[in-house]
Amino acid sequence: MKISPLSTLVGLLALAFTLATGLALTTDNWSSRAKSDNLFGMLFGDGRKLFANHFFTMADVYFHSGYYPSIFDKNSGEEKEIISASHGKKESEEDEKNEDFLGQPKDWIDAFGRNFRITQHTHLENHNEREILPWLRLAADLDPQKIETYTVGAFFLREHLGRADQAEAFLREGLRNNPDSCEILFELGRVYHDGNHDAERARNVWLLGIKKFFLRPPDQQKEDKLIFEGLVVNLAHLEDEAGNYGAAINWLQAAQKVSPAPGALQKQIDDLQKKLAALVPVTPGKLY
Amino acid sequence: MSAILQTQKLRVEYRTRDLRQATKVALNGLDLEVRAGEVFGFLGPNGAGKTTTMNVLLGFVPPTSGTASLFGIDVRQPIARQRIGYLPELTYYYKFLTAEELLRFYAKIFGLARAETDKRIAELLKLVELESAAKRPIKSYSKGMQQRVGLAQSLINNPDLLILDEPTSGLDPLGRMKVREIIQRLKEQGKTVFFSSHELGEVETICDRVAIVHQGELKAVGTVAEISAGFDNLEKAFLKIVGFQPSPAP
Amino acid sequence: MSKIFALAAVVIKELYRRKDFYVLFVLTALLTLAAGAVNFFHDDKIVRYVKDICLLLIWVSALVISVVTAARQIPAEREARTIFPLLAKPVSRWQVIVGKFLGCWLATGVALVVFYFFFAAVTGSKEQIWPWGAYLEAVWMQWAMLAIVIAMVLLGSIFFAAPSSTSTITLVVVGGILLLGTHLKVIALQQPEPMQFILTVVYFVMPHLEWYDLRDFLVYDMGIVPLRAVALATLYAAAWSGIFLLLAWFGFRRKNLTT
Repeated sequence: MKISPLSTLVGLLALAFTLATGLALTTDNWSSRAKSDNLFGMLFGDGRKLFANHFFTMADVYFHSGYYPSIFDKNSGEEKEIISASHGKKESEEDEKNEDFLGQPKDWIDAFGRNFRITQHTHLENHNEREILPWLRLAADLDPQKIETYTVGAFFLREHLGRADQAEAFLREGLRNNPDSCEILFELGRVYHDGNHDAERARNVWLLGIKKFFLRPPDQQKEDKLIFEGLVVNLAHLEDEAGNYGAAINWLQAAQKVSPAPGALQKQIDDLQKKLAALVPVTPGKLY
Repeated sequence: MSAILQTQKLRVEYRTRDLRQATKVALNGLDLEVRAGEVFGFLGPNGAGKTTTMNVLLGFVPPTSGTASLFGIDVRQPIARQRIGYLPELTYYYKFLTAEELLRFYAKIFGLARAETDKRIAELLKLVELESAAKRPIKSYSKGMQQRVGLAQSLINNPDLLILDEPTSGLDPLGRMKVREIIQRLKEQGKTVFFSSHELGEVETICDRVAIVHQGELKAVGTVAEISAGFDNLEKAFLKIVGFQPSPAP
Repeated sequence: MSKIFALAAVVIKELYRRKDFYVLFVLTALLTLAAGAVNFFHDDKIVRYVKDICLLLIWVSALVISVVTAARQIPAEREARTIFPLLAKPVSRWQVIVGKFLGCWLATGVALVVFYFFFAAVTGSKEQIWPWGAYLEAVWMQWAMLAIVIAMVLLGSIFFAAPSSTSTITLVVVGGILLLGTHLKVIALQQPEPMQFILTVVYFVMPHLEWYDLRDFLVYDMGIVPLRAVALATLYAAAWSGIFLLLAWFGFRRKNLTT
């Protein structure tokens, strides 16, 4: 019996449809990539995180105008996040300058080749910091769970570019993807306090940050104590500005328990106690 | 008359992949001489060594031993080819160039001056009847047109020696006649023509002298009359010389 | 020299009558314009990433054009058998090699100028400055590097019959040198013997193509490289190109073209 091509085609289509219906439930458990709501997640799977890390590093490279160690250079094994929210402090700049990864030329080829490389350690300034933003944007799109992307981006938007509104929007996006992140809440509080001069909102956000901190497992709390210190120290400064010296002292004392430099905090406590002593006694603030 | 083209004990060996025979001898001590002003036919069955001889003369293949010279200059020197024109059997030219561009390119290789180049190109395009197609790329040409471009490029430098490899192969009768006319005209101008061919009828008509090679060796050389002596025609002489044994009659 | 220039002219004609250059240019232009059209944080003054992307595309395109063009010169002539009517003329094989090299190099230079003009137009429209000195240096250095690459490819094409083999091997080698050339000595020191010795020898013997990559100077507005260094790098490129061309000639001059 001769089978026509059309019948063969219809038969094959029917077979394909039947198999698809039958296998759909089984293959559902094979991979979650197709169900990802993120285009990059669908395209690259978990590999997108590699790209995100690379683009985050690109932001750092841009910040240093190309003067950056490669994976083959000295100290390449360490996770160097040179671009950080604490950047701008004099001591960190000095540390960076001491970590000159180039060193002395190894031979005449290296020496001559340095004519064609960036060999000056510089940082972007005068609003040129904007150049790092595309890479942070891409890193955030590729890995929405990478918190540093949001905090670093918001820091530069707020501190260097004077765009508190965009910093807030970026952080809120980060918060939607990472609702329990103390780091993002900390940075958001800085946007409200330093950018918008809204102490009330800053206080609320930082208090929420502390609440989220205590929801973390104890082991993780030990690892993340620096962010706790940051939150409580900023709350202390907030209370200091509001004249609630007692509350400020309480916060600083809480910070001393985790701080690597309790002596510096003690000096601040002493100053606050002097201010408190100079005041007419008032009802001490609540310790939250 | 002086020898324009000369080979002395020319030997060419090729490496083979045959385990029983490491090298194949394509030419075995070929002694050939072509004099100025003559039309010389170079004959032989397939695989006789005709193409190898031409390849050596044109510098494509280095000889294993022996010498070959053109106008007294060793063929390994590029200057030996300054006064020759070459027409290959099959047309191999840059398809993205137009006929005019191709001729101009080859004229520059010969070092012709601009004015002379323009003059020669106009003459040759008229001779080969490609004036209307001169500005079209060669890839748009028919086979016959490409053959004619080949003929034109072989004459661009007004050569004193023309080397033709099966010049009438694949041509229609009109094309063949055209080629014969050109060869005749060159002879009248005192040029020398050296060509290989399987068309023995044509060879009989236009050649002054003929050489027959077989299995890399020169078997006969002389005028058509000398070689055909004792035979009805050149074809029968050729078959006898290359050792063809006719099948016995049933 | 006129024969060499005549050969070069044919190579240039072939390049601009093929589609490769136009396709790569349009691709580069489209990708650059797309990258430039994206708005990051409502800031239309951000320009360095556009420069970075555009220059990367220019580098890739120029490499592809030069390698693919050079890789097919001799093999295509042999395959199409156009080498025979050419060598039947009074031209030496050395002149053919140099003519092909010059044609590929000049054609690539023209392509580079077009690419960089586009680059200057796009980035200049955003940042309103045109550091022509830096552009000129970058073009010149890239062009010098491509001279080495083209000569290398021509050498490879004498020994590899298929242009695809030559192209692939050359692109891998060039890519390796550009990415690892600066760091090869460091990598060598981390290896056990005899690999350390081998890599150290390779480091000193190989052409250092990474010197010619001045993209960082353009992206980060770092001004121009000292002219003395550029001059020495140019001499270095000329020397390496000469070495590769001589080696190509050694391989080509006694080659039996009929097999």
